[in-house]
Amino acid sequence: MVTAISDEMFSGEAIADPYSYYGRIREEDPVHWNEKYELWVITRHDDLVWMTRHHELFSSEFWSRDKRSPYPAIDESDLGLYQFMKEFFMNWFIQQDRPVHTDQRKVVHKWFNPASMETWRPMVQKVVKDMLDEADQNGRMDVMKDFATPLPLFVIAQMMGMPFEDRKFIRSMAEKLLFIGRGEADRMQPLTDGIKELMEYLSPLVAQKMDLPVDENDLLSVLASGEKSGALTRDEVIADAILLLLAGHETTINLICNGTLAFTQHPDQWKLLKDAPFQDPDTIVRATEECLRYDPPVKSIQRIASEDVEMGGKLLKEGDRIRWFMSSANRDPAKHENPDTFDISRWPNTHVAFGSGIHHCLGATLARMEAQEAFKALAERYDSISVETDEFEYQPSVTFRSLKSLPVSLK
Amino acid sequence: MPRKLRVSVDLAICVGNAMCETYAPKVFVLNDDRQSTVADSNADTFENIMEAAQDCPVSAITVIDDETGEKLFP
Repeated sequence: MVTAISDEMFSGEAIADPYSYYGRIREEDPVHWNEKYELWVITRHDDLVWMTRHHELFSSEFWSRDKRSPYPAIDESDLGLYQFMKEFFMNWFIQQDRPVHTDQRKVVHKWFNPASMETWRPMVQKVVKDMLDEADQNGRMDVMKDFATPLPLFVIAQMMGMPFEDRKFIRSMAEKLLFIGRGEADRMQPLTDGIKELMEYLSPLVAQKMDLPVDENDLLSVLASGEKSGALTRDEVIADAILLLLAGHETTINLICNGTLAFTQHPDQWKLLKDAPFQDPDTIVRATEECLRYDPPVKSIQRIASEDVEMGGKLLKEGDRIRWFMSSANRDPAKHENPDTFDISRWPNTHVAFGSGIHHCLGATLARMEAQEAFKALAERYDSISVETDEFEYQPSVTFRSLKSLPVSLK
Repeated sequence: MPRKLRVSVDLAICVGNAMCETYAPKVFVLNDDRQSTVADSNADTFENIMEAAQDCPVSAITVIDDETGEKLFP
């Protein structure tokens, strides 16, 4: 029965184990109207893929089109901050529909294609090695704090030409921006503080790039070229720079951390990975895809209905808010055999961790490369990785699947 | 005359990101496993097909000039 499903997506149970919570919705009411937050919850793989392929029906212009009050509710005194936040997010290229989305994405999409990304692999391997050398000296590490976070942060900061010493600042601002997926009523203050500080930080850097010829080796310069070509305004260049900084590391952090946790919880799969000949890239590639399927870094993405659409016997009305859950679609038994089993030999593995279609994650190749190198290095170096805690605490976010810490000992 | 192409997708690599289908929907069609298959190698412009190949997130697409045998991508 519909009424039996709790609509509290931020409850301790739903945050700790989204697979049971959304799995139940998928079984009982796969296209579910969440009364509490006034949005559609989409949980089936096939529905999600169908929706990604009908972008004309499900708009990405969420922040400019959503007329309902904020969800979860915010302090009334923060409505001005909410408006500021909305106007900032409206400038992200991922918040656009076609044809604007295509033109804006084109400014940077070549940077992220597989051939371009391969040139960064040696640098990623070097950073992974340095970080694990340091962990070896202690025989332990917090995977989240000492490995999964600094690695992608280092890489994206390098790509964008940010000074080495700015990484702590960038991370602390990113942590403020992550309040976007959370439920606290007073979340607008830290969220907008983070946006403002990053805008102030990036504005002069972008202005400098504008005065110079385009440097194809510098992501910020490539992005700034979008203003020169007329595809982007200055505000959009700055907003997209913040997007690339944030999305360029936050998601990969969770992929590396969640994947490492999965290996510690499945010794048979860890052994399979370790026993694989490392000159054979297939094992690492497939293992990384399974990590993406089994415990994806991003749980859900939001859209807004452009017109009335019938789905699964329900009527989604124009202007209705929608959240589709990749973490549920990736465990849908109608698509994946034994979906709750972590199996690194699974193939083909058509998960939707990166979405699908025109809004498919721009940085997917970068995330894959970093995770492949991270898992490969761990497997080459350690016989066992043992988690030093029984308690796993996740950030109370409906967007990100993010552990607060993962302390392990290394042998 | 536009050049005649021979396009293929390596199913051992394709993970169904469906980028190719958005660039050239008459060329690339997803099968029941949601992997990409080639319906007609010449049903779209050269530019769109090359863009699909270059932007495939896992580099699963090969493009060959069907007359000369020249490999155009990768």
